[in-house]
Amino acid sequence: MQHTSLLERILRGIALTLVVIFFMFPIVWIFMMSFQTNETILRIPPQLVFEPTLANYTALITGKLTTAAGTLDIAFMRNLWNSVFLSVTSVAVALLLGVPAAYAFARHKFRGSEDIAFTLLSFRFAPALLVLLPLTLYFQKLGLANTYIGLIWVYQLICLPLILWIVRGYFEDIPADIEYAYRIAGHSWFATFRKIALPLAGPGIAAAGLLAFIFAWNNFVFALVLASADKQPVTVGALAFITSSGIQYGQISAAIVLSITPTLALALYAQRYLVEGLSLGAVKG
Amino acid sequence: MASLELKNIVKRYKSQTVLDNLSLTVADGETLVLFGPSGAGKTVLLRLVAGVIDPDEGKILIGGEDMTDVDAEFRGVGMAFQNFALFPHMTAFDNIATPLQARHSSQGTIKAGVESVAKLLKIGHVLSHKPRALSNGQKQRTALARALVGAPPLLLLDDPLRNVDAKLRFEMRLELPRLLADRGATVVYVTQDYKEAMALGDRIAVMSQGVVKQLGTPEQIYREPANIEIARLFGDPTINLLDVKPARDARGIYVGLSNVQVHLAGAPETAIGRDCIIGLRPEALHFVGENEPGAIPVTVEAETPLNEKIVTLVRTVRGREILVSRPAGTPGETEGKAHIAVDSKSALLFDHASGERIGSKNVVSLRNGEAA
Amino acid sequence: MTAATMQRNRPSGFRISKRVLPYVLSLPALLVCIGILIPFFTSVVYSFQRYRLSQPWARQFNWGDNYISFFTDPKFWNTLQVSLLYAGITVLLELLLGLAIAMLLQKRSTLNNFISIMLLMPLMTAPALAALMWKLMTNPGFGVLSYLASLIGLQDFRWASSPSTALFTVVLVDIWVYTPFIMILLLAGLRSLPTQPFEAAALDGVPRSFVFFRITLPMLTPYILTATLFRLLDSIQQFDIIYAMTQGGPGDTLTVFQVEAYLNFFQSTNVGRSAALMIILWAITYFLSNIFIKNWLRLRERARGLA
Repeated sequence: MQHTSLLERILRGIALTLVVIFFMFPIVWIFMMSFQTNETILRIPPQLVFEPTLANYTALITGKLTTAAGTLDIAFMRNLWNSVFLSVTSVAVALLLGVPAAYAFARHKFRGSEDIAFTLLSFRFAPALLVLLPLTLYFQKLGLANTYIGLIWVYQLICLPLILWIVRGYFEDIPADIEYAYRIAGHSWFATFRKIALPLAGPGIAAAGLLAFIFAWNNFVFALVLASADKQPVTVGALAFITSSGIQYGQISAAIVLSITPTLALALYAQRYLVEGLSLGAVKG
Repeated sequence: MASLELKNIVKRYKSQTVLDNLSLTVADGETLVLFGPSGAGKTVLLRLVAGVIDPDEGKILIGGEDMTDVDAEFRGVGMAFQNFALFPHMTAFDNIATPLQARHSSQGTIKAGVESVAKLLKIGHVLSHKPRALSNGQKQRTALARALVGAPPLLLLDDPLRNVDAKLRFEMRLELPRLLADRGATVVYVTQDYKEAMALGDRIAVMSQGVVKQLGTPEQIYREPANIEIARLFGDPTINLLDVKPARDARGIYVGLSNVQVHLAGAPETAIGRDCIIGLRPEALHFVGENEPGAIPVTVEAETPLNEKIVTLVRTVRGREILVSRPAGTPGETEGKAHIAVDSKSALLFDHASGERIGSKNVVSLRNGEAA
Repeated sequence: MTAATMQRNRPSGFRISKRVLPYVLSLPALLVCIGILIPFFTSVVYSFQRYRLSQPWARQFNWGDNYISFFTDPKFWNTLQVSLLYAGITVLLELLLGLAIAMLLQKRSTLNNFISIMLLMPLMTAPALAALMWKLMTNPGFGVLSYLASLIGLQDFRWASSPSTALFTVVLVDIWVYTPFIMILLLAGLRSLPTQPFEAAALDGVPRSFVFFRITLPMLTPYILTATLFRLLDSIQQFDIIYAMTQGGPGDTLTVFQVEAYLNFFQSTNVGRSAALMIILWAITYFLSNIFIKNWLRLRERARGLA
């Protein structure tokens, strides 16, 4: 296998270049668009060289777009805040609920534990609307419609199975003897959980949290169905942009860039754990 | 004070019975060695005593008090694990200190306690290291220190020398008995190494498939093993086993070995005429002149000098291979034709079919439930 | 320490028993579980009802009518067909492409690792936003892709807005987002394979194609199965990309299950039909996930064993 011919190396190089172009081009292009004025964007053929402007970002951040036609309010920062708040809170709740449960599933094989774990897993694979559509009706009755609490609860559909199954794996990786040793030394199960299990599974828990955050952030359908404008995250909010009149393509691009930057940054940070997270612990990176 | 009593313990994993109606008593201050092959249930037994797993049936009494349903942290035992089970995120000091911290001892008491036990085990200089930075020997000593530091009345040691190198094992085998004796604790010690078992145990419980096959002093286990399996496990090189059918003549009971009639002093009458296996320890055989009574002609095949003894592989005229051992530095045949004789008092007779020793007069043999 | 002091160490007050503890720990998660199972069962009930939000007074059980009407409903057959077609095409193409890229990047080198991390970026982009990005790039007025298409002679290539190319366009976006998923799983799989068979084959001069089909593929199969089924389960339920891109249109070109159910619920306010559609989709995913979970568990146990 060591003897790769020159031709093969060239072909491999070309193939990899094409792959990189295909997957990176849209991100690069949108990034470039976000620094362009509407004028340069609309020019044909598209411009590779242009004078960058921060106007799109300024408009988004100040929430005011001043054009010749007048001033337009953009609620994008609100969407961004909703995304941050919903994702952070959902992950926090999922960690609070999921980590103890994961510990119970990993350490105490009790009656029904596998059934519960698999039911939670099945949420990951069941059609979201199956649950969401009746929920809209329930939420209206319960007064949870268009509330953060309602949304955070539904976000557990994505966060909880992920946390549960990944963290469970990390707990299972801790040799039982280590925990036994701490118990025998005279410590309660709770002290053992806090002083031994949690610190040792810590990096895994953090990674699972980051992944859950990414998935929560990227979710679209929950908020589309259950939230109206003031509670919508960026995924839904940005889509509304394209249909609303008056907003320019540069601002949409800037909104996209701002919306995908957090997840891309976190993904880079947690990339070592990504494979394991994406496969719910079945494949180690 | 801290005697240990196990009454009719049963432990099953799924359909498999790991411990089968096992009963055992360890007196206060005694060191009991649990010896047996892996899978015999030794480690499970230790964990049941420690309280980290629960028996399906039976009772566990520590110091006369029923501890069966008491959580591990309230049993007051110390335990060292085969794989050390050190807390990887804590320094050696913090590892050793955990039992003292659980009692909410003052910082000063903890420091003094850890340092004195560390000094005893010669790890005072590595207390600030994390387990990752410790050698295997240091890890093992740290684990031992953690088990000892709280001066528990009952000490459980799960094959603590298994994962350390040969040199350290040798040292610790000399060191541990004194250490344990000084503590005055009741000790249950698990090992798969018969030399360790013989060196450390006041008594040895030989376990196999979840039952205690034989319980006795090291001397008893060695001299009067309950069955062939135990005879094989104790002794290095292993015992020679030959098919025989004892018979009787005017001089007493004898067996035929390579057409030579070898008389066995004190052999039981019940063995006569039965298909038997005779067990001859290599050190119960010695080279003799051709004309000695009971001299068996053999051919020397190979000679292996070990540290303190020389082991010779010989072949009988019937082609059976036998190991003969003699202390190093003593004379013996090294090649060609030779003759050996049997120290008949130490010959062991086993029933061919069951493997049980025949005439186990002085052997304390425990059979739990149905015989295996 | 004597038995008496041990006794004293034991707390006298409330203490969670060993048997109850795991239930206590998992109870909160269990409650969320139940909270989500309730709407699931509600959906089952709705699917057996004639239930329109616009005519709440006419709500009644019609038992299997919602399902029976599907047999004669061309819209349903269209939904089924588009969903299966979409899932089939995307997963197949992503699998081939993902495997190819994984093999290109198999060797551990700084460049390869860097590229594999870069390729994760589409996967970490919210699918709805990815659709929006492609929508901007395929805009007939200024989209860079429309321009590039015109350069190769495809004047007036209308991407997602033409019924003949809409499927192609959303599949393209799906491939862009999800190929990295398969790639990264297979790459991890490839890199975890034992090297010995490959070295032996190289020494014996076994042809490359033989090595690929007889050694690489069989050993990679569990990873391929897991990746494929993860993707199949997601793809058959695809909503974000299609809805953000075309809202199921033009016409009913792309009314896959979830999009159709969404439109039925919010536009036609036909709750009964919408629920019935979801139950059928659920049955399909349930069937797929049952095949999948065994394989996934085996792989998971193997990964844990390696740990």
